[in-house]
Amino acid sequence: MKSFVFVVFFVCATAFAAEQLQCEHKKVDVPKDWLDMVDPCVEKMRGQIQEELKAAMQYMAMGAHFSRDTINRPGFAKLFFEAASEERQHAIKLISYLLMRGELTSRVSQLIRRNLVPKLTSWPSGVAALKDALRLEASVTKKIRDVIIVCESNPTQYNDYHLVDYLTGDFLDEQYHGQRDLAGKVSTLEKMMEKHGALGEFLFDKKLLD
Amino acid sequence: MKAFIVFVTLCSIAFAIEGEYCYTDVVRACQTTNKLSTSPINCTAKYGAIDAVEEGLQKYVNHHFLRSFEYLLMSTHFANYEKNRPGFEKLFRGLSDGTWHDAIELIQYITKRGGKMNFDLVSKEVKEEEVSEPNFELYELSAIAKALDTHKRLALEAHMLHSEAARKTSKYHDPEISSHLEREFMHKHRDIIRKLAGYTTDLNSLLVGPDSSLSLYLFDEYLQKE
Repeated sequence: MKSFVFVVFFVCATAFAAEQLQCEHKKVDVPKDWLDMVDPCVEKMRGQIQEELKAAMQYMAMGAHFSRDTINRPGFAKLFFEAASEERQHAIKLISYLLMRGELTSRVSQLIRRNLVPKLTSWPSGVAALKDALRLEASVTKKIRDVIIVCESNPTQYNDYHLVDYLTGDFLDEQYHGQRDLAGKVSTLEKMMEKHGALGEFLFDKKLLD
Repeated sequence: MKAFIVFVTLCSIAFAIEGEYCYTDVVRACQTTNKLSTSPINCTAKYGAIDAVEEGLQKYVNHHFLRSFEYLLMSTHFANYEKNRPGFEKLFRGLSDGTWHDAIELIQYITKRGGKMNFDLVSKEVKEEEVSEPNFELYELSAIAKALDTHKRLALEAHMLHSEAARKTSKYHDPEISSHLEREFMHKHRDIIRKLAGYTTDLNSLLVGPDSSLSLYLFDEYLQKE
């Protein structure tokens, strides 16, 4: 690998050959006046991208657990795998927003770190996992609110109206709808399981496949 | 307890020959008046050599996730206003999406074969990458070169898993796993690798000369339509 990097560098950088590969191009001088996001807010947003991916991997672990032959809850697995991809989409949406505002021109390599391994990997029942999912969503909601707080009234006193509106109207909206849906599922399932434990979970799981 | 372990080992040895342990367990379970265990021990989906390959598959899943995030970073870099290469953004985003979905598919496959997922495992070489803090903010040609290398490594890892499952001793022989890897991964890898190699060929000739930025602009337009 090292030698490969060297070769690429060599090919790109040497001025020996008459016909030379030009891989790098000059940095263009684009006016910076339009870049109006402030550091504490950008940092919070970068952190939130990591949080969304963490949530994605936690959902991934739920999907993996309920896919097992000895658990056999394909409906739950489907729900959680889809939730995992959805969380990843949220991270990508946040990235796209920062790019639109002219951010992420540097330190992109450090944007996603390798500490996304899910903490929990098994659940005693479907209800327990749904409750954990609801807690996870609640904690993500709280973190989005924290981003809003910093981006609205940070030490630099710069109110980022547009971002705050986007987070409130788009992200929080989805969070609250998602949480209501999960809470409803917890209620229904727990009621079904009160008298018909195993059968309740079985039927609920198949319902999730629809 | 010891006797039990010996019994279980004997069972697993005899399993391949006899193959009726689920049934005998169920018969036993149905006869007892108090149901001690809800899961008869020998009624899993496991057969063949999944145990021998499981760990390798788990690592393979985790490597996919890591690569997916790296491709996402490369895509992000090309999407900032300074780079402004929507075609390259799309190319790397596609690679990120692909490895992400392959990882999910692979988890489902492991569980289909009676295995479970372990998110902690990565190979030693992949673990060591962390020390060097790799850079994903690259110029166009170097980025494609990196992606080509990365995808070749993924392809070769599938080869390795395939050879694990293709050994002829019964403990390791599992044509179902080999076939699955071939069908779901290997042909796809072949196409991606060929495509990326083709791009490096193109850029290698397009970037020659005093001003290659117009070439890159047009190549990016081409990538947008791909």
